[in-house]
Amino acid sequence: MSTATKTLDLRVSPLGRVEGDLDVNVRIEDGVVVDAWTEAAMFRGFEIILRGKDPQAGLIVTPRICGICGGSHLTKAVWALDTAWRTEVPPNAILVRNIAQACETLQSIPRWFYALFAIDLINKNYAKAPEYAEAVRRFAPFAGVGYEKGVTLSNKPVEIYAIFGGQWPHSSFMIPGGVMSAATLGDVTRSVAILDFWQREWLETSWLGCSIDRWLENQTWSDVLAWLDENAEQHNSDLGFFLRYSMAIGLDKFGRGFGSYLAMGTYWEPELYTHPTIEGRNAALIARSGVYQDGQFYDFDQANVREDTAHSFFEGASYLHPFDGRTEPVDPALGRKQGKYSWAKSPRYEIPGVGAKPLETGPLARQMIAGRPGAASHQTYDPLILNIVKEIGPSVMVRVLARMHEAAQYTRLVRKWLSELKLHEKFYIKPQELPEGRGFGATEAARGALADWIVLKDGKIENYQVITPTAWNIGPRDRNNVHGPMEEAFIGTPIADQSDPVELGHVARSFDSCLVCTVHAYDGKTGKALADLNVSGMC
Amino acid sequence: MLSDNCAPHTLIIGCGNLLRGDDAVGPLVIRHLWELGLPPGVRCADGGTGGMDVAFQMRGMQRVILVDACRSGAPPGTIFRTTGRKVEQLPPLTGINLHAFRWDHALAFAHWLLKEEYPQQIVVYLLEGASFELGDGVSPAVAAAQQRLVQLLWEEIQGVESRGDANLDG
Repeated sequence: MSTATKTLDLRVSPLGRVEGDLDVNVRIEDGVVVDAWTEAAMFRGFEIILRGKDPQAGLIVTPRICGICGGSHLTKAVWALDTAWRTEVPPNAILVRNIAQACETLQSIPRWFYALFAIDLINKNYAKAPEYAEAVRRFAPFAGVGYEKGVTLSNKPVEIYAIFGGQWPHSSFMIPGGVMSAATLGDVTRSVAILDFWQREWLETSWLGCSIDRWLENQTWSDVLAWLDENAEQHNSDLGFFLRYSMAIGLDKFGRGFGSYLAMGTYWEPELYTHPTIEGRNAALIARSGVYQDGQFYDFDQANVREDTAHSFFEGASYLHPFDGRTEPVDPALGRKQGKYSWAKSPRYEIPGVGAKPLETGPLARQMIAGRPGAASHQTYDPLILNIVKEIGPSVMVRVLARMHEAAQYTRLVRKWLSELKLHEKFYIKPQELPEGRGFGATEAARGALADWIVLKDGKIENYQVITPTAWNIGPRDRNNVHGPMEEAFIGTPIADQSDPVELGHVARSFDSCLVCTVHAYDGKTGKALADLNVSGMC
Repeated sequence: MLSDNCAPHTLIIGCGNLLRGDDAVGPLVIRHLWELGLPPGVRCADGGTGGMDVAFQMRGMQRVILVDACRSGAPPGTIFRTTGRKVEQLPPLTGINLHAFRWDHALAFAHWLLKEEYPQQIVVYLLEGASFELGDGVSPAVAAAQQRLVQLLWEEIQGVESRGDANLDG
């Protein structure tokens, strides 16, 4: 016992242990952003770690990519292997996977809003706004009434995840052929009680000021405006206040982006995906996949995904489908001489007849696709956000609203799935471990489309490619010098105070990228540095 | 990971990223303890890189033992044990980052979150790492020290008074 002998110096170096850093360089002219470059500052070699490993290694490794959406990583990794091994997955297991995925997203919604986004709403630049004192009362970090309640209760949904998954985050309870847990009646009863509590105490009482059913009746922007003035509870809820305050300080006026969107969809209708295939995935989805570009909807097909490395610190200027994807890093110093500037690749989608497009992913994208006509009876159809984008255009405010809207949608779905579990039936069917095959698994993490492509050969992983929602959103320019979606969203942002460009924080945070993000602002005429702004801190 | 039906009073949390060399030591130690089997009333949890959720798991516990890797400049494999005053000197809540949560941030956040339910006793074990590169395994020095750390934790949870200099900063 003489091994622990040293006094501790608490100033140990911080371990940047998860996803790495994102530097955003922004050029400002005459008080408006005219150009932007997003630079992911860390190499992530998960694909290299996985090459040559056991096929199931992705189930262990990829959930550790992120401490915030590990359950989403697990979800897509297991579906990728299910399609590669052509497993049979019993309906109960599909329901449990749905419940787990949705609960992870539900915990992220208030945590992201209060702990990451809303703290910029009390920036001193808004001190002259009429409702500033009220914003501080609600949203001040650790002290605001909305903040305290939202953050304190934010772990409730993942308590449900832990009932089924054993722990959260970083569970590996989803396995090819099902899930490792066989739920009991007690598990279901407890889960329903936790969901009820969270729905009542935070979602309905604090956030909406009404029942989720009442909120989900809103189908248009004018419905929302009428809802705001319908009664005092709704007017003064955190959502009611957020909308009024956003319009007062102009969050509905910038952060627009391309207006082009991608959802890979998530949640599977239990009876429709017991024999998972890449081809059968779209029809089995509950929250649909799809692409929206220039007012047109397109079906999503994973075969149309490409990764462009023209401005990324990888060999050459490749443009490959992930099944053929390569992860061959180059020395950044060398890469910079070739015009490369980010460790993120630039995912692009080949729209048939249109060409390669950068697409925004995330809740706004999901909700645009939810408004597509023609949903099957098991699929979500919700026209609200599509209508709002058509009426007032995308913006920081609309991106936030889309995310918060999902809290009501998904709470309702989780309750339904909990009631559909058949406890006496199977949760797992042992699969045959095929030595060769290709798999694709995707889901929607809180922050957007997340997918794995796996190639198996001789019983080992020959190739593994992960495309994260953050890569879709923060990827650099492509070989045609077209901006990535977040770069585009910065352009046109008006900056009121160049020494404290809080508007850039709003735009960056509205994407909820899973990188620690610092924005550097430069004067476009003199090249002089104006301000640095860390936009991922909790305060 | 509940060891029995007895109401838990002690929680051991291992923090760190399994994918980053010696940073894996927290989760690995938890797995090791779990395989050994824990006495009644003692739970363990793999905190991973969840950060904020480490704080939520402390609710209702009398005693929390945190295990993490560190990088202080000491020889790799050095084990630090700290408790009492040192653990109360927490970083300010401002500047905490959801994507780079450290054990002391977790404690500061837990202090705010749990208020009077904050655990009465906090003990932190830190193991000095050599390499934190993505994709690396655990270094030999840390692999060797990991066994000692498990032994120390085992004695700690059984209430054995630490001998020698182990408590000098408590």
